[in-house]
Amino acid sequence: MTGVIDGSAQWAYVAAAYGLTALLTAAVLWASWRAMVKAERRSDALRKDRR
Amino acid sequence: MHAYANPTRFLAIARPLTPWLLGGGLLLLMVGAWAGLALVPGDYKQGETARILYVHVPSAWLGMGGWTSLAVAGLVQLVWRHPLAGIAARAIAVPGMLFTALCLATGSIWGKPTWGTWWEWDGRMTSMLVLFFLYAGFIALTRGDEGARAGGALSRGAAVYALVGAINIPIINRSVVWWNSLHQGPSITLRGSSIDGALLWPLGLTLTGFSLLFGAIVLMRMRRIIAENRVTARLRRLADDEEG
Repeated sequence: MTGVIDGSAQWAYVAAAYGLTALLTAAVLWASWRAMVKAERRSDALRKDRR
Repeated sequence: MHAYANPTRFLAIARPLTPWLLGGGLLLLMVGAWAGLALVPGDYKQGETARILYVHVPSAWLGMGGWTSLAVAGLVQLVWRHPLAGIAARAIAVPGMLFTALCLATGSIWGKPTWGTWWEWDGRMTSMLVLFFLYAGFIALTRGDEGARAGGALSRGAAVYALVGAINIPIINRSVVWWNSLHQGPSITLRGSSIDGALLWPLGLTLTGFSLLFGAIVLMRMRRIIAENRVTARLRRLADDEEG
């Protein structure tokens, strides 16, 4: 083992890396989805009004 | 390729493709993360922290791949003036910056238990930090060029910035070879991998899963920009009709 922290303490770092990745990826996914749905709804509504 | 540069044709493909990329990406990520956390053994040298590999490496590849795509889109915009290329570049910037930030953060979290430090100003980490700032600069630049935004096109300055920034990609790639570093050398090259097959296969799953999610995010952001452009164009036509 070459690490300076070993044993079960290593799992805290693994959990932090996976947790942060899941959190930030989910946040960008959700924000992108929400903005897309909002913009497409507005575009569709305006097109229907025009007809 | 030119035929699909039409936003209507693009949307006919992007709309059904988005949920498939999203669903497939999430499924592969869940299986890959489960395999990386529970199925494969810890590394004989680094122990459990080596499992960070399955989120760190895809983040690094997508951060670099994102800028490469952004530079290609900038080139297409400059040469052929396709507005869809500008829309793609705008859409790539945020997920590219996200994965670069995740690469830096997960690398730092991996570094502490392995090297004894959160950060080291070596070639790999510094050039990756430069990439993060390049993304931030591109986002700031494209949010400010409203004049050039008609139809989603990039300004000439933003397209050139994307191309010039691509110089950093080979520097990141070769940094661990050119400079002495705490960071390990390249583990996966065109000639093969120094990582044992027993540890490598979940990386294929998370790498594919993150790539599909990246694609889904880019499509969603492109669809948003196209919808906003259509709203702006319709409102402008309505205003013109009322005036006329």
